[in-house]
Amino acid sequence: MMKKIICALLALALTALLALPALAAPPLLVDEAGLLSESEAAALEEKLAALSAQWKNDIVIVTVDSTGGASPEAFADDWFDYGGYGQGESYDGLLLLLDMDTRDWHISTCGGAIDAFTDAGIEFLGKRLIADGLSDGEYAAAFNGFADWCGQFLARAETGRPYDRGSLPRTAGDYAKILLLGLGGGLLIAFLFTGSMKKKLRTVRRKQQAADYLRPGSLQLAYANEQLLFRNVTRTLRNSDTPSSGGGGSTTHKSSSGRSHGGGGGKF
Amino acid sequence: MSTLLEYKCPNCAGAIQFDSASQQMECPFCGAGFTMESLQAMDEGLGQEQRELAWNAPEAAWTEGETEGMAVYLCQSCAGEIVADATTAATKCPYCDNPVVMKGQFSGALRPDAVIPFKLDKKAAVAALQKHLMGKRLLPKVFRDQNHLDEVKGIYVPFWLYDADMEAQLRYRTTQLRRWSAGNYNYTETSTFYVYRGGRLSFDRVPVDGSSKMPDDLMESIEPFDWRDAVDFQTAYLAGYLADKYDVDRDESTHRANERIRRSTENAFAKTVTGYASVTPEGGSVNLLGGTVRYALYPVWLLNTTWRGKKFTFAMNGQTGKFVGDLPMDKGAYFRWLAGAAAVAGAVLTGLLLLLM
Repeated sequence: MMKKIICALLALALTALLALPALAAPPLLVDEAGLLSESEAAALEEKLAALSAQWKNDIVIVTVDSTGGASPEAFADDWFDYGGYGQGESYDGLLLLLDMDTRDWHISTCGGAIDAFTDAGIEFLGKRLIADGLSDGEYAAAFNGFADWCGQFLARAETGRPYDRGSLPRTAGDYAKILLLGLGGGLLIAFLFTGSMKKKLRTVRRKQQAADYLRPGSLQLAYANEQLLFRNVTRTLRNSDTPSSGGGGSTTHKSSSGRSHGGGGGKF
Repeated sequence: MSTLLEYKCPNCAGAIQFDSASQQMECPFCGAGFTMESLQAMDEGLGQEQRELAWNAPEAAWTEGETEGMAVYLCQSCAGEIVADATTAATKCPYCDNPVVMKGQFSGALRPDAVIPFKLDKKAAVAALQKHLMGKRLLPKVFRDQNHLDEVKGIYVPFWLYDADMEAQLRYRTTQLRRWSAGNYNYTETSTFYVYRGGRLSFDRVPVDGSSKMPDDLMESIEPFDWRDAVDFQTAYLAGYLADKYDVDRDESTHRANERIRRSTENAFAKTVTGYASVTPEGGSVNLLGGTVRYALYPVWLLNTTWRGKKFTFAMNGQTGKFVGDLPMDKGAYFRWLAGAAAVAGAVLTGLLLLLM
């Protein structure tokens, strides 16, 4: 009898153990709009799962045909809160929502992800999404790129200095720009430098002036007048309080569930 | 027949010459020195003698452009024939190496008003050339060793000197800016003026090279000469040096002098227009009130070298020591320096940008 009870308890515990992760871990990829092929979806989900486990933050991607009139922000926040996402006590994680109806993208952050993904960081991620082909229908590439960036953002946040205004990660384009500027400037400096060396070889030049032969003190001004022709006044709007410079950080709001969320979005 | 003058030492009858160090005539044979004043007296005596000789010269000797281009002189020391340029006024006899002055070249209208005697000798000129080659990284390394110094000549170069009193009336368009802020706007007030300047200005002894053999740019590059050392012309100064007489006349040279004087006049007046955000010359007139032209000989060391079949000419101001002359460039070295500098500057700049951006 005792043995039976133990057996039953064990079986219960086992099923609970097996079922718990399934229950506690809702799908990280919900492709309601059907933008990805099956194989793409499977690979992406695997990647999201791995990254989520590694950085202790749920990284969720949701695509929908319509939000049913809700704002992307509210919709994304609610999907995250009521979908049971978030790791740990503070529900760490973030959710990328794609609304195909209004062509909005929105990222909602929660818990630790609020600090890891600052407003400037989210703006940066939005730009990367579009650069990776979100607007051109290259969804798989855009999502994969997004997942990689999320990993990088979370890794950086662990050092205590998350990517923020002024410290955003550099893209290949940034590096190309720096390299071009550096090499171009270097070449210019080199030309000036060798130009001055070259100039030393040329010492024979015509004299354009006779200033050496001006009799000192011989300049006598007979008259010196000025006559006003006209006056012009132009005005320009003073640029009211300069934006950014410092700034940074994450702004938060309360979702319908009462939790604090960060986030931001845009069109694609 | 020519009139050719050689200064004989009153002591030993050797040919004497002007010594730039002691600023007097010295005999290289017996070491005796003579002041210019004492020689001037001797010169006058000799001159009379020479003039008489000249009177005896048959007119037929100067036919058909013989005086143009080349001319033949007789050395009074060894009676050797000296064939020289018609504009040569002093040279050395190729046979006995005695310095000779062709006195006929300086008679009448050709007589210079003044001369600045040489202050630096041949050694100084050769040393200056070596110094000129230093510190020039793009100069082919082998040039210093391989270039062959063909000749070093001390030449009295004829210069026209222009004294000018100028009068100018000039107009400028200028702007002044005033900036202030009120409310939400920044204001900029631009006031535009006509500014007038009129007055006088004088120039002393603006030189124009009167020898067509001397490159004008080379001669202008070794300017200025210091007039305070100038002395009244005496043929004795020319002994031991070469001398040319002018072959570009006063009127031809005037154009160049005008150009330089005009530009300097405009600049001098423009400098009095201050306190404006921008100044644009709008015209006016620059006139010569009065001017005189003088003729003087200035001391120039001319050095000729050849390197790989190419001639290089250097000039040194025989008074101040200013040394000029274009040098060849090592193209390989140029591109090596360019590439090296570009690599270093590029790397440093890229590194800085990576840190700052």
